[in-house]
Amino acid sequence: MNVPNYAELVCASNFSFLRGASHPKTLVLTAILHGHTGLGLADRNSVAGVVRAWSALKQLRAEGWTPPDKVREGGAPGEIGWREEPPADPAVAELVKARANAFRLLTGARLVLEDGCPDVVAYPENRAGWGGLTRLLTLGNRRARKGECLLRLNDLSTHADDLLLIVVPPRRLDRLDTTLTRLREARPGAVWLGATMHRQGDDRRRLARLKAMAEQSGTPLLAMNDVLYHHPGERDLQDVLTCIREGVSVERAGRRLQANAERHHKTPGEMARLFADAPEALAETQNLLARSGFDLKQLRYEYPEEPVPPGWTAQAWLEELTWKRAMSRYPDGLPLKVRELLSKELAFIADRALAPYFLTIHDVVREAENRGILCQGRDSAANSAVCYVLGITSVDPNAHDLLFERFLSTARDEPPDIDVDFEHERREEIIQHVYDRYGRERAGIAATVIRYRPRSAVREVGKALGLTEDVTARLASVQWGQWGESIPDHQIVQAGLDPANPMIRRAVDMAERLLGFPRHLSQHVGGFILARGRLDELVPIGNAAMPDRTFIEWDKDDIDELGLMKVDLLALGMLTCIRKAFDLMRAHEGVDHDLAAVPAEQADVYEMLCKGDSIGVFQVESRAQINMLPRLKPRRFYDLVIQVAIVRPGPIQGDMVHPYLRRRSGSEPVTYASPGPPHDPDELRKVLDRTLGVPLFQEQAMKVAMVAAEFSEAEANGLRKAMGTFRGDGTLHVYEHRFIGRMVERGYDPQFARRCWEQIKGFGSFGFPESHAASFARLVYVSSYIKRRHPAAFACALLNSQPMGFYAPAQIVRDAQAHGVQVLPVDVNRSAYDNTLEAGRNGLDLRLGLRQIGGFRQDWAEALVAARTLPFDSLEVLRRRARLPVSALRKLADADAFRSMRLDRRDALWAARRLPDDDPLPLFTAADERELADEPDALLPCMSLGEHVAADYQTLRLSLKGHPLAVLRPVFEAEGVLTCAEVEAKRSGRRVKTAGVVLVRQRPGNGKAIFITLEDETGVINLVLWERTFEAFRREVMAARLLAVEGVVEKSPEGVVHLVADRLYDRSAELNRLSPSHSPAIQLSGADEFVRPQHPRDLRVLPGSRDFH
Amino acid sequence: MNRYRSSNRRHLAVWFPFLPTDRLLVGRAEPPVAPLAVVVKDKGALRLGAIDSAAAAIDLHPGMTLADARARVPGLEAVPHDPAADEALLKQVLDAFGRFSPMVAPCRPHGLMLDVTGCAGLFGGEAALSSRARALAARAGLQARTALSRTPQTARAMARFGPGGVVPEGQDRDVARGLPIEALELTAEDALALRRAGLVTLADLDDRPRAAFAARFGRDFPGRLDLILGLADSRITPHRPAPPVVADRVLAEPVLTDQAVDAVLTDLLSDAAGDLERRGCGARLFVLTFFRVDGRVRRVGVGTARPSRDAPTVLRLFKERLASLAAPLDPGFGFDQLRLQAGRLQPLSPRQDDFHAAPAKAEALDALVDRLTARLGPDAVLRIEAEDSHLPERACRMKPAVQVGRAAGAWPERESGQPPLRPLQLFDPPQPVEAISLAPDGPPARFKWRRVTHQVTRAEGPERIEQEWWHRDRARVRDYYRVEDVQGRRFWLFRAGRFGDEPEPRWYVHGLFP
Repeated sequence: MNVPNYAELVCASNFSFLRGASHPKTLVLTAILHGHTGLGLADRNSVAGVVRAWSALKQLRAEGWTPPDKVREGGAPGEIGWREEPPADPAVAELVKARANAFRLLTGARLVLEDGCPDVVAYPENRAGWGGLTRLLTLGNRRARKGECLLRLNDLSTHADDLLLIVVPPRRLDRLDTTLTRLREARPGAVWLGATMHRQGDDRRRLARLKAMAEQSGTPLLAMNDVLYHHPGERDLQDVLTCIREGVSVERAGRRLQANAERHHKTPGEMARLFADAPEALAETQNLLARSGFDLKQLRYEYPEEPVPPGWTAQAWLEELTWKRAMSRYPDGLPLKVRELLSKELAFIADRALAPYFLTIHDVVREAENRGILCQGRDSAANSAVCYVLGITSVDPNAHDLLFERFLSTARDEPPDIDVDFEHERREEIIQHVYDRYGRERAGIAATVIRYRPRSAVREVGKALGLTEDVTARLASVQWGQWGESIPDHQIVQAGLDPANPMIRRAVDMAERLLGFPRHLSQHVGGFILARGRLDELVPIGNAAMPDRTFIEWDKDDIDELGLMKVDLLALGMLTCIRKAFDLMRAHEGVDHDLAAVPAEQADVYEMLCKGDSIGVFQVESRAQINMLPRLKPRRFYDLVIQVAIVRPGPIQGDMVHPYLRRRSGSEPVTYASPGPPHDPDELRKVLDRTLGVPLFQEQAMKVAMVAAEFSEAEANGLRKAMGTFRGDGTLHVYEHRFIGRMVERGYDPQFARRCWEQIKGFGSFGFPESHAASFARLVYVSSYIKRRHPAAFACALLNSQPMGFYAPAQIVRDAQAHGVQVLPVDVNRSAYDNTLEAGRNGLDLRLGLRQIGGFRQDWAEALVAARTLPFDSLEVLRRRARLPVSALRKLADADAFRSMRLDRRDALWAARRLPDDDPLPLFTAADERELADEPDALLPCMSLGEHVAADYQTLRLSLKGHPLAVLRPVFEAEGVLTCAEVEAKRSGRRVKTAGVVLVRQRPGNGKAIFITLEDETGVINLVLWERTFEAFRREVMAARLLAVEGVVEKSPEGVVHLVADRLYDRSAELNRLSPSHSPAIQLSGADEFVRPQHPRDLRVLPGSRDFH
Repeated sequence: MNRYRSSNRRHLAVWFPFLPTDRLLVGRAEPPVAPLAVVVKDKGALRLGAIDSAAAAIDLHPGMTLADARARVPGLEAVPHDPAADEALLKQVLDAFGRFSPMVAPCRPHGLMLDVTGCAGLFGGEAALSSRARALAARAGLQARTALSRTPQTARAMARFGPGGVVPEGQDRDVARGLPIEALELTAEDALALRRAGLVTLADLDDRPRAAFAARFGRDFPGRLDLILGLADSRITPHRPAPPVVADRVLAEPVLTDQAVDAVLTDLLSDAAGDLERRGCGARLFVLTFFRVDGRVRRVGVGTARPSRDAPTVLRLFKERLASLAAPLDPGFGFDQLRLQAGRLQPLSPRQDDFHAAPAKAEALDALVDRLTARLGPDAVLRIEAEDSHLPERACRMKPAVQVGRAAGAWPERESGQPPLRPLQLFDPPQPVEAISLAPDGPPARFKWRRVTHQVTRAEGPERIEQEWWHRDRARVRDYYRVEDVQGRRFWLFRAGRFGDEPEPRWYVHGLFP
């Protein structure tokens, strides 16, 4: 039989959230394998998935197989893995390639109308139709809450120009007529009536009715299968999705589930058989396909023109700006090196027509400058001389070697990538400015596709299958294996469950299939898309959950794929801190700095870092970084670039850290691995000379692949893409073979080749390019400089920028005190909301602000400060003048902030408690009279130091009166427990006992060791626990706030001390000795990984700024 | 009401600190291997609601998240919180403790308060009474702490925050002064304020002027303190079941005849109806108790589909019921007392009937259901209830009509003008037939059922119903067809399984169309 041509034009992918059960690319691939001539992808009120389908088709046309799926594995940048389809059979790939090239993809949306009308699938007929569709969706999105889209038939009929419409008949056909008529009037000749044969019993009768309706209304009948998944085997997954959506278990879902598995891709032959009564409906699919002349590649992106003044071309204006600003950047004359660089870069920018891009970023940065908001760009293009003179970055190209080369040398024909970090407290201003300047229809934040990860998948699948919450919680806690691998039985047993139980097994299997499915769209952290024309004619815009935010439906990858420009406007806490420090230095010390003007290369700053004295400093403040500092001994800026990049998974997994340190300390000669003849023996020297022959940066690893393993441009790109797969098998093993094979073939030491490869694998997910490291290193230097020269301002700014960084206020304050800063207590007569500086006997003192009091509101503090024209001399006066509620006064009293009135905490509290809850009587206020009569002294007992310390920790999370351990010292001394300082002084190998409060617990890398930092009144000590010890003392580690340990001192040659613990004791009960009634709240550091439980996978390799050892 | 001076009364406080977990452990044959906790869901997080003594011993505490607790004790067993079961158990225990004193009241959470004034002597003294009480709790599997003192407040505080035991008369204040301030059961904030002030025990409070506390912790604070210190009187409100609607007739002359019974019943019903109307309620259950002269008791009940207090209706129901009793009433020498109790009360607002209006159709149907049920028993009067399932045999269910009521489930809608896709009645189980059909999904061309061959002339289908994959014993996929044979008889047939399956697909007839 002659099989007619067929194209499935009504397909929902899993971007019809919790409805479709297949990825867009799988739908495309299956359609091609079935021999369809095309496919129409129409998700529910959304076009979020179309780019995936489109780029999959592009790939299939080029290679005959689809690229791996990118899967987000963690919250931090770079935590990305790849999911691979099984490698293709080459013959099939050829067939697919041939068919794909003749295949047509329609991209549209299924409009689900809220007024009870049948669904309508809309495809653009041309570019204008696409714009109409996206505007229609934008209209529906903007009037709804996030994630919803409210559209009515009216909206559709008024926006129907250039759209091809398929009416999807509902189960009951009675109301169909009116819709058909309305749409046909709105769009004559472009409306189809869909028909399905879903084996519902009355299919043929229904088809006959539809056929009659179609003839009567003059709309052609269109065969379709209203596809929800690519293969009938996905029906159970679709059922589970339905259950998740409806919040029911599968047992109770009943007719909310599909009765059968018919809604999959069917072959043209099968469709022809099913539509034997209406063969014309099949032919109609080809007519519709031919009608659409739209392809996503027609979306042309144009840079916004705002930044270019009238009469200028973008390039000319960029050059003008660059030279003008260069003069002010280098007031002593433009160095020749910079002049040459600028010329070279400008020529490159002209060649690529990138001027509008730089101007747009400059435009945003200048606005930040005007508002006094610190910002700094990063990534390849950001570290150019042009960006330096335009103020986008502060890494001086004259002083430092250039990193722009990477950008210049990229053959990638895509827009450059610059991320700009802003002060975290003020970034929203910039975001709103961008909306204002470009308008909501021209600016939007990119989307982030929230996908199912193991925990969420198993939890929701478990619920859908009717497992109890306890069981799903246990399953979610199981450590998941590699992608595509099942959870091994022993792990299920470990979670206390029976792997033989079919329900458990099914939940696990189903969850694995659900992994990577999109769950909903969310807004990207700061990626903006700006356009010259209307952005809503490019892509639909919707409301975000946050007020005043709107975002588009496409994510970062879609945007890359289509070549749209994205500017990342990100938030960075350290910039807030630095700006606040600059402000304080200007106000109190008369020093005026900006990021670029901080004196470079000061020896004392590096001296401080070499000692590992870096609490609060950007990036290098983690324990691992602090331990690395004395080993690496940074002496110049480039050392900091290395310092930032070296304590990361890539170099560690590649075992590059120790060789680098040995070479740096001179205990190992600097050599360059070289190939055998006839190759250039020095070929790697050029790549690696900056890092002493050891590849440390991401681009070096890539460069090694290209130089030493002779990877072509395309291979390198493929490698870059495949790099993240080190956990799965994927395509990476193909590259592994090539990489090591070719290096060895060319005469390299196989061991070196293998190490380079290990490193590439490590880089995969956590690449730290050199340019990135350089931008960060600048902030490391600036923050170190402030800490060294202006310790009071530094601590003050750091406290005022909380929450950020690694350390709790208690440690910041202690560190400031250790650097000679006098820290003064919170006081109602001295403190402002923020922490402030006061002139003291030895320079500036740090006065704690009211913000340090837990739960004290900013407006209370402002009212208090405003009313403080004269010093307050009594609680009642304070209350009356500042009109504070009693709860505020109680908090002040709790925090012991009335000392200047000669009231100690206890008396103040007793007095504050007595104040009535309501507003003071107006009569008393007017007369400035006291409202309360005198009462006899309550003769409260005197508060002991221990009680004070404990209460300080409860209210302020720190105490200036003493450390809890100092109070408890006699107890521990009697037991032979040493202080942290005493342990630090012991020789390696000594067995000691010590105790301290727990600051942070971490379980990095493979989880074989646990790191715990303890603190006492003399300092901190770092514990290392091997996994076995941890399991034996799990409860102590997890529960103790005060931990006593026994272990062996281990000291590195650089003097870095660890205590390898073998016994732990939970001594938290001792804290009650401070005061039987106050249990001090010891704040764990923000980096503690057990407070915020993360998935074991996320724990295994930690994101950027966290500890890594 | 009897006034009494509480100064000479004695109260026993009983507290079951581990009631929820003890309840769970009672039913188990084996001792627990791991600590046990009851978990509650709180804003999406599972938290420990109550724990057993083993969990308490290793420093777990209520309020911590389950994840946190599991991180410390991976083996922890967690069971969902069931407050209703806890409450039921407390009620049950309360009844059992009635043996010590008729004056028993729940003392929440998880405790009881007994007024044992004058009861101790029966049990060998107060200490003996206390230990008997603990022994009784232990037999029920509950750990218990008791305290006996003059005021209930002192007893409660001593049981929960102190050492428990018996406080000798006149020593309440001395003993209670040693209690921590938590015994006052203040808000966490007030308790912390007292501790911050350095006031730790009730003695610290007792020694200071009350006015200072009233100014800071509210006017009722001193009173509260005095109650615990035994300086003020109070009493308990004993627990009694809510009085049901009861109408009683004690008859001077025993009744023997049905007519006489009807007459008394009519009286009782009108009493009960008046009571129900005052409460704004109707009842769904009426129980009539016949007390025979010789002491035998017989109970007869009727239920209604909707709450009612309409005496004639209920009377009619009783008459139907009494007439159809399997074992007829035997008055013997007559009934000397009849009691009518109305139960399952539900709100019913008074209604003014339209003078001319006939009762609504639905009500008439309900009344019929009630009468039939009264006569035939609930299992004999059934109504079909729609079930939410694709499988025909599960798409509906017969249930007692009085239970189903009006809401008979959601029936699938049918479009007007279209024939029904399914027959009204199904064969249970479907009857096997032999059929010949076209692959892969053609209707049967002819089939043989009960040794008769039917030639199919018309057919429609298939309606494909997939197996319910989540069931352990799943049925095979079915393709249903509506077919008509030469004689114009119409059948609902299905093929179980697909072509090419092993074993081969089988055909069944599942129903007949008219």
